Amino acid sequence: MPYLASDKIAVIDLATGSVEELPLSEELLNSRIGGAAVAQALYAEHEEGDPLVLGAGLLTGTLLSGSSLGLISGKSPRTGALAHAPLTLYAGLEIKYSGFDYIVIKGRSAEPVYLWVHDGIADIEPAAEIWNADVWTATQEVRKAMGDELIQTLVAGPAAVAGSPLGQVMINFWASGDRFGLGSALAAKNVKLVALRGMGLIEINDPEAYVAACVGLLGELKSGGWAGKKGLMDLAAGLGEADFAAWLAPLAHRHRAGFNTPFAANTFVFLEGDPKELKEPAAPEPGVLLTDLDAPLSLMKLGLDAKEACAIIRDCAKAGLDAAGLAELAAAGGVKDAAGVRGLMSAGDAPASGPAGPFSPCAPDKAAFADFGQGGPEWWRRRMALAYVFGLDPVFALMSPQIDEAKLIELAEVGAGLSIAPATLEQVLSGLAG
Amino acid sequence: MGIKIDPGKCTACMACELACGYHRDDAFALLSACIIAYRARELKDYFGVVLKEEDTLVIARPEGLEVKRIGAVEEDQGEADASAKPMLLREPCDLCADREGGPLCQTVCPVDAIYQG
Amino acid sequence: MLPSPDPRPPARPRPASGSSPSPPTQAGPVVGSALAALPRRPRLGIYCGGGASHSWLWMVDSFERLGLDDLCFLDEKGVASGGLAGLDALAVSGGDAFALAGALGPEGAEAIESFVRSGGLYLGSCAGAYLCLRSSKAPLNLFNFVQARISNLARELPQPLMLAEKFSTPYGCAHVFHPVREAVWLAPAEEGPWSGGGRFAAPLYGGPAMLPDDPCLAMATYADFHPRTRFLAPRELAEATLLGRAAALRAPLGAGWLHLYGPHLEHPGFAEANRLMAEALTHDLPDGPPASPPASPPSWLAGEAVRGLARQLRREVSNSRIVAAGLEDHPVRWRIGAKVYEPAKFRVFLEAAWRRVPALERASALPLAPEESLALGEGWQEITAGLRGLRRALEDSPDPGRDTTGQANRLFDQIKRACVGLLTLHFAARGPRGGISRPH
Repeated sequence: MPYLASDKIAVIDLATGSVEELPLSEELLNSRIGGAAVAQALYAEHEEGDPLVLGAGLLTGTLLSGSSLGLISGKSPRTGALAHAPLTLYAGLEIKYSGFDYIVIKGRSAEPVYLWVHDGIADIEPAAEIWNADVWTATQEVRKAMGDELIQTLVAGPAAVAGSPLGQVMINFWASGDRFGLGSALAAKNVKLVALRGMGLIEINDPEAYVAACVGLLGELKSGGWAGKKGLMDLAAGLGEADFAAWLAPLAHRHRAGFNTPFAANTFVFLEGDPKELKEPAAPEPGVLLTDLDAPLSLMKLGLDAKEACAIIRDCAKAGLDAAGLAELAAAGGVKDAAGVRGLMSAGDAPASGPAGPFSPCAPDKAAFADFGQGGPEWWRRRMALAYVFGLDPVFALMSPQIDEAKLIELAEVGAGLSIAPATLEQVLSGLAG
Repeated sequence: MGIKIDPGKCTACMACELACGYHRDDAFALLSACIIAYRARELKDYFGVVLKEEDTLVIARPEGLEVKRIGAVEEDQGEADASAKPMLLREPCDLCADREGGPLCQTVCPVDAIYQG
Repeated sequence: MLPSPDPRPPARPRPASGSSPSPPTQAGPVVGSALAALPRRPRLGIYCGGGASHSWLWMVDSFERLGLDDLCFLDEKGVASGGLAGLDALAVSGGDAFALAGALGPEGAEAIESFVRSGGLYLGSCAGAYLCLRSSKAPLNLFNFVQARISNLARELPQPLMLAEKFSTPYGCAHVFHPVREAVWLAPAEEGPWSGGGRFAAPLYGGPAMLPDDPCLAMATYADFHPRTRFLAPRELAEATLLGRAAALRAPLGAGWLHLYGPHLEHPGFAEANRLMAEALTHDLPDGPPASPPASPPSWLAGEAVRGLARQLRREVSNSRIVAAGLEDHPVRWRIGAKVYEPAKFRVFLEAAWRRVPALERASALPLAPEESLALGEGWQEITAGLRGLRRALEDSPDPGRDTTGQANRLFDQIKRACVGLLTLHFAARGPRGGISRPH
């Protein structure tokens, strides 16, 4: 039995309504390591069913700082190619502990359904009642039906149901890093959402050594340039976007991290009430969590004020629409006001070209608060490939040169009991990054 | 001396919760942790940390720190329960007594929101 | 006072390792050899009926880990209606002694007395110990099987230093009081199953300190306080009340024995205490075959039916514990009878069931008729539905603690019964046919 894994893959055939459980083969782990590389192999294996593959990195959900990454891989409606979208916040954690290492969703259901994945069980549940619901309602309804507020959902909103190429896979209520329209790919399978909850336990190969290595690494990381900074405003400043902080500050409430991610790259903004007040807000839905810098930054650059921009992002979150893609579309069309941007929300259009390459551009295209000694697209793709294989938050991966390939090979050995030859890692990374 | 939490610094990353689960189970799991990132009221961005000690719950809310007695008989809620057995689901914080470096939750908190005092 | 000589010869030769001056600290090997010396695997009944708290689950965990895994579960009806036949021992753990006595009633008292007199072993800890101590209070006086008195009894209650609600219980016109909680050190008596061994720790949660009269024998006394002892009364009072008093005793009754423990030697966090408890148990088990061996199950599920049931159990126990874990965030508490219950208690039972699901998934056959399998699966489905309904009711209720008490009470009962059903199946499937292997 492999460590840091549940040793189980679910293959859900929506056309037949069947769920097959397969062991996670050692051969797959040895040759592909984990995360996007395994998802890529499973995608190829089940390609006839146009699969979407959910999974997590080899070290996701552990004490390795930044190990928050889950992913959804599939053919992008925007690019027509295999793409990997990051699932951060707590979604990657929940995938890791769901009792399955990977979940292959293939075929198309005859009726609207949602998937309920919990503790090694994948159930297909009817979703007619929530099919047209917005993202927030759908998440709340499923949590209510299943009886737990901590259930993590990957949702196709109304935009995805309508087939928009900007239909994003949403996490609970918020934007994920999906810029590939994979929400629409999910909806095209007649799947409204995937609900995940795992209360399992992940064994470690050498627990003491792994934890000691993670603690030691955190000690090094804490001397990094990100220390003492948090939220999208600091992130933007770190990337040279000096005006952003002043633009967003009047709305900014608190900053939230993804699972075990030292840098809190998400900022909650209040559209109602005083964002500086530190108490439970009276309004049930006072604002929106900004999880992707590109959307507010692009809307700012169009000339929108922060409140208008964040209100649009909130509406995109409910609709399951990729707000960053929408802003890009607006910029390409010369739109300069909120009404114009809103007018594009239901158009069903997308920017002429989708993201280049298989990794989401939600992670900045350069390092932040850190000097890696190198840069450029090739470096970025390799860094992303590394993050998507081992399970690192892609934004934090650009702040943490201390988490290098040698360190990850060492952690894989002590944590997962997986010996990775440098040549294998090379093959895996170049197989993903090109 | 006990664990204290600065709710203003906390970013709800759950590193503390996983560390505590590890301390209990020698594996990665969350269900036996005595320090828990409270994250249910997501739409309100209302989050914090709850720590179970021997007799008290330390609750770090955005408003500040609150300490509550566990199992105290309130109003007319119940009679004395001398034979009450501890539920072993979440054992109270032992400050990682067997660990040289002190409480692991404190060690792994990336933003130093956890301290002893 | 020195203990009186043992009035009965040991039931069987003691295992060699048990007489070692430095008993090993690991639980497995010694008990393994003690078990190996037994002519057959003992069949143990665990009481889980009225008056019992959840600590009977500690018995289950400890016995299972020690290889004493021929277990069955009895409620008050089971005890009264012949369920003790075929058992070697009955274990009664903690709870409320008066409620235990009330639930078991005269029929239960008679059944237990007859069971022990005919050679059976009664093992009681905490409330299970109080139950059998001499008492003039009804209904405890139905169970006056052991000539020993409670020493932690006071007419005038001292002032508690802390945890007032856990400090005392009314006992007629006096009070049973508990000067300490948590771990204490026990010292084996010079004679008896643990003689020659070193001191060991066990946790005390309201259990008795005892003053044995002839022919009872102390097996261990309260020797000292532990770094983890919590003082609810001044140390001097705790010393006077506990130290030197019997913490564990054995008492003959007819052809059988009663073992009474103040502390919970079965607590899963105390391996050495577990080992010693099992060693004492093997020491006084009845000789010869049981009065009536358990009947073979009439039918067995096999193949796809086993996998289907195991899958359904995984699904529903998982669903239930997800809701139950979520309920732990809720500040609700319910007053049921004399006790206050918190939602965490649901998960105590659900976790006990959950831990056994993987073994059921590996079973090659399960001793169950198809209709029983259906009922077991449906029972767990109802629990999921009940917990989800409870959660919805809590969210909708202006006074959740009161409005949902009935619902919670029914669910506690349902979950306990379903848990017993699953545990029964788990232990019945041990052995070559069921294919559930014994832990190493």
